[in-house]
Amino acid sequence: MPRPQPEEITFTIDGREVQAPAGLMLADAAKLGDVDIPVFCYEPKLGAPVGACRMCLVEIEGIPKLQTACSTPVRDGMVVDTTNDRVKAAQESVVEFLLLNHPLDCPVCDKGGECPLQDISYGWGRGESRFVEPKRHFQKPVELSPLIAIDRERCILCYRCVRFSQEVSEDYQLVLHERGADTFVGTFDGHPYSAPFSGNIIELCPVGALTSQAYRFRARPWDIEQSGSVCTMCPGQCNVSYTVRDDRVQRVLARDNDAVDDGWLCDRGRFAYQGAYVDERVTRPLVRVDGQLRPVSWERAEQEAVKLLGRSDGDGHTVGALAGSGTSNEEGWLLRRILTETLGSRDLDSRRDGALSAGLMAALDAPEAQATVEDLQYAHAVLVLDTEPVDDMPIVDLRLRKGHRRHGVRLMVAGSRPSSLDPIAEHSVRFAPGAGEAFVVALDAAIGGVGDVAGPAAAAGADPAAIEALAKDLREAGEDVVILWGERLTAGAPAAAEGSDPGANAARGLLKIAGRLGLTDDRAGAGLLQIPSSGNGRGLREIGFLPTAGPGYREPEDPGRDARGIAEALVDGELTVLHLLHADPLRTHGDRDLWQRALGAATGVVAHAQFLTEGILEHATVVFPAEAGAEKEGTVTHPDGRLQRLRPAAARPGEVRATWRTLARLLVALGGETSALTVMMVTAEIADAVPFYAGITHDEIGGFGVRWQERDAAAAFPQGETGPFTLDAPRSAASSNGALRLGTFRSVWSTPDVEHAPALRFLTPRQRAELHPDDARERGIGHGQRVRVSTGDGGAAVRAVAHLRQSAPRGSVFLEAGLAAESADAVSGPVVLVETERA
Amino acid sequence: MSRTGTTSHPASDGLGLLSDDVVAVQRGPEPGGLAGAYRIFGETLRGLKTTFGQVVAGTTTVEYPEEKVPVYPRFRGRHRLHTFEDTGLEKCVGCSLCAAACPADCIRVVAAENDPEDRVSGGERYAAVYEINMSRCIFCGYCEIACPFDAITMGHDFELADYNRSDLIFTKEMLLQEPPVRTPLRREGE
Ligand code: SF4
Ligand code: SF4
Ligand code: SF4
Ligand code: SF4
Ligand code: FES
Repeated sequence: MPRPQPEEITFTIDGREVQAPAGLMLADAAKLGDVDIPVFCYEPKLGAPVGACRMCLVEIEGIPKLQTACSTPVRDGMVVDTTNDRVKAAQESVVEFLLLNHPLDCPVCDKGGECPLQDISYGWGRGESRFVEPKRHFQKPVELSPLIAIDRERCILCYRCVRFSQEVSEDYQLVLHERGADTFVGTFDGHPYSAPFSGNIIELCPVGALTSQAYRFRARPWDIEQSGSVCTMCPGQCNVSYTVRDDRVQRVLARDNDAVDDGWLCDRGRFAYQGAYVDERVTRPLVRVDGQLRPVSWERAEQEAVKLLGRSDGDGHTVGALAGSGTSNEEGWLLRRILTETLGSRDLDSRRDGALSAGLMAALDAPEAQATVEDLQYAHAVLVLDTEPVDDMPIVDLRLRKGHRRHGVRLMVAGSRPSSLDPIAEHSVRFAPGAGEAFVVALDAAIGGVGDVAGPAAAAGADPAAIEALAKDLREAGEDVVILWGERLTAGAPAAAEGSDPGANAARGLLKIAGRLGLTDDRAGAGLLQIPSSGNGRGLREIGFLPTAGPGYREPEDPGRDARGIAEALVDGELTVLHLLHADPLRTHGDRDLWQRALGAATGVVAHAQFLTEGILEHATVVFPAEAGAEKEGTVTHPDGRLQRLRPAAARPGEVRATWRTLARLLVALGGETSALTVMMVTAEIADAVPFYAGITHDEIGGFGVRWQERDAAAAFPQGETGPFTLDAPRSAASSNGALRLGTFRSVWSTPDVEHAPALRFLTPRQRAELHPDDARERGIGHGQRVRVSTGDGGAAVRAVAHLRQSAPRGSVFLEAGLAAESADAVSGPVVLVETERA
Repeated sequence: MSRTGTTSHPASDGLGLLSDDVVAVQRGPEPGGLAGAYRIFGETLRGLKTTFGQVVAGTTTVEYPEEKVPVYPRFRGRHRLHTFEDTGLEKCVGCSLCAAACPADCIRVVAAENDPEDRVSGGERYAAVYEINMSRCIFCGYCEIACPFDAITMGHDFELADYNRSDLIFTKEMLLQEPPVRTPLRREGE
């Protein structure tokens, strides 16, 4: 969809001629002429202005009444006055009016010192009130949710929070109750406001009516420093600003970057910082002595790690490595060098399951096929394929909603589990869990109009007619189509399926679809956007933290083992040592049984971790305390290729040291060479090795990041696999005779940082089994009943609470993976039995 | 020797000075001679008159610290934090306004939320930590002016010396206490 390209117009404000893009609201256009118009309810991020507060009144020549600058677009030749007596009188009256019911308890108000109402009262108010009648009273403060406190006396009824809930996050929970002077903000029936993005209303509220429970009374603006960085908890990599007092992060605010996060944050990014300051955090190096992890000196821990990693059993290497969310490019790079250069191992993986060849990855990530986050908002149509944005990359969920609501983007969803986007999606096509490959093959046939749709659709457990309808609309939507797809689509199959490689087949299918829709021919605004499984998945992929690709997708001579292969090799004794960089496979990788055996068989496990999660507590031999996001320096790469910079904001507690430095020391101790004295020098090593990162520096990345596709060096991107692709017959989704197909998902709340952040702990998910009411009825299961989910052959079972969803596909059951207890990873089979639990 | 005049210095041109810019300095009479000796004698006598005058005036030394000079009511000495007389609750709500006003940046306030069951202050919040670093305080009294609740006032005590710098960081508990020794206050007309 063509983006708006407004022409420049000239208007006059307070006697000054100012150039501004046509259609800009006067309140914003005035800033271009250095004129400040006070606003309360106006916030461009919320979409169309509502003109609720009347603070922004100005006089426009030719219009008899004063106008609201926030909802009046500038026009050529407009003459505006913001300073004459009439306007001044109006402004003073509005301030006086807003303060009628305002308690003015600034000294105890958390907003004091950074409060627009204070600033505007000083700047534009009369300075005194004539109001002597009693003010309205509410109970204060009230808990709006465990994260947010509301003080209704301070509310000026600007509607911002309500508009956010109704029009941005679309959770529709906040409403205004009553009318007139009795109006107050609340939820239906006083239920807690619980939504993944609820924390944003704290930042939106222009007064101290909504305050953060976690930050309440922690500091005043003059006690703190703001320090910009990037959140590394999920691939969204939102730009954040840490509020630091006494060397600790006290709060996280959004740092608006339209190309990444649009100025919003999810509640995990906003509150999980608390996990850095709990007693459970590992702050000293630990070594296992007599079966117990005991604190030791850094020197001792490093010696132990070097001893383990450097031990060679004569033939071949013995070490495998996994990197998880929170790993910066530099850390991944140094660990990669330790493995490939000093230990001769290529067994390293940053994907969750299944390796893809370097050529296919390069084809999927090619600059000409790359869509950006902003493209999602202006595309003609977006296909959300095998991913649930609100779980996998929360912030992009808001972008999709914005595109749909404000720009008419046609949203189409294809996945196994019901999506939170279904209500606004034009198509919601379901396929069986794990049948992404078959679905892609069917969709390709349907879009191309060649070949058989019904066959692969049956294999996918999907409705062929729905696929045809989806294909037709995708084809006809217009030339700007974006496919937002999840890494899971190309997960590949457990080693059993010899010969065919479903992951590669799905990738080829996706490339074919992209080719048919014209997404690969370098059209700005159209393309593919992959959501990786870990926070810096793209960065780790591009520096070559993969078994099948070197730096810059270089094809390696002999590929190594992927995550699953590493586990199997550990079990078989071919590998004996595992190096875990911010990963605990029992939490981060599926198939708990396999990993438990693998970790049990390993003779040494070196881990960098913030928390002693199960796998690390029970199996790690050496634990290095890992840095929290706010303590880290380095770079990360956003899924759309934007290199972003992490800057340390807070001190590292206890004896925590920089992870990159530990890795650099290990590298040298193991006989490698690095001259890196600073993180920037490691970045320079990466820039030398990855052709399309050539010459990148921290300075160039700057505060808002830079997409490597927009730099000259992008020309050095390697040629990926090219078509024409032929697709294999897809693997059929496991049949469901009696048993249900098991689908898993990871919500954004199933991570150790959420469990350990006091403010977020209440959100830690408990296992529930989602299934269709008909499937439940057949098994005599009611909503809320306790059930057992197992493979039925005496293997492990997961206890869950049945959760019936009308929109769940028949024949499937969904369990959450990555939980600390009763995680779906315990059940490994594709088909499972669900039974009511016998007490 | 010329008594007045300009010294021509090579750099003076470099400084751009014109001779008009140079101001002549009036000097006293040349020393030496009878007149000089007379003047010296005269001045010495004048000095001695003051000295002997003081001898008869008697002593005015205050035997500090045994004796203390009363201070004026508006003297700004060691701070006091106050409580409400009736409820005993602290007046300070931990708003940090004093810390914002303090030009020496020597007040540190960390606020916390009141437990309604066990209140510390009257408002929603209270000062969990309230510290004044007396070694940096300049006794300007801005904190007192800034406080919206008259929770902090400047007292009259100035004897704050200590052997240890860290003992000069006064905590909330210390500031809530009466000072150990009271400084006498000057009475009306004194
Ligand atoms: S609570 Fe805040 S954001 Fe919401 S309407 Fe009131 S003043 Fe506006
Ligand atoms: S969406 Fe992701 S990157 Fe953004 S704040 Fe949340 S966890 Fe962080
Ligand atoms: S008297 Fe002045 S310098 Fe001393 S604490 Fe108060 S404001 Fe600060
Ligand atoms: S002494 Fe007064 S100004 Fe200082 S924190 Fe307490 S209430 Fe606020
Ligand atoms: S800012 Fe214009 S009416 Fe509120």
